[in-house]
Amino acid sequence: MQIYKDYKDHADFLTVYVREAHPTDEWQMKSNVKEDVCYAQPKTLEQRVAIANDFVKRFNYPTQFGIDDMSNAANDAYAAWPERIYIIEQGRIAYRGGMGPFNYHPEEARTWLAARYGEVKHEASTAPPDKKNN
Amino acid sequence: MLKWVGAVVALLILLAVIGLSVMAGGIRGAYGMVRYALPHMHRGTLRVGDNAPDASLLALDGSSRFHIRERTGARPLVIVFGSYT
Repeated sequence: MQIYKDYKDHADFLTVYVREAHPTDEWQMKSNVKEDVCYAQPKTLEQRVAIANDFVKRFNYPTQFGIDDMSNAANDAYAAWPERIYIIEQGRIAYRGGMGPFNYHPEEARTWLAARYGEVKHEASTAPPDKKNN
Repeated sequence: MLKWVGAVVALLILLAVIGLSVMAGGIRGAYGMVRYALPHMHRGTLRVGDNAPDASLLALDGSSRFHIRERTGARPLVIVFGSYT
């Protein structure tokens, strides 16, 4: 998660796990089968905790992590599903990202942070862009 | 007249199905999007400058809890919502 590495000295990061977007019992994606990311939609909070832990372990995910309740309170408050980014500053929304997947643009959050703390440049890579690395 | 209305409606439905299929990568994806995704997708009413809502979250240990507002301090807080799949 490059944006975290680049700006962790200036900003805090919190990842919130919400209901699954492409579980096996709903709209499963072929790419998830290929990558062996196959989970049914959790029916209990314990199941959400287990999947969130699998995710963190697989990617060695570095940020603070919280799991939304089965009431989906955080998701409802932020209209977050399936994926979305916000930046909070002094208790207020400072940046509101678009709804994923089509309007999910982590680079906008990076631009917000860069405007505040300066751009962090990386050498050009030939590797294809990775959603998890934004 | 009724025939024309029916034809136009059918054409609009066909175009919608084609559009969704293109976006979702096929007719099966279009069905999945309509059946499972669209009911849960909401733009929301939050705007830049609004008070950030609070919510209680469960920690990865499965037992301890914290509030989003507890993690907001002097520094900006970047919140990333998402799931595994």
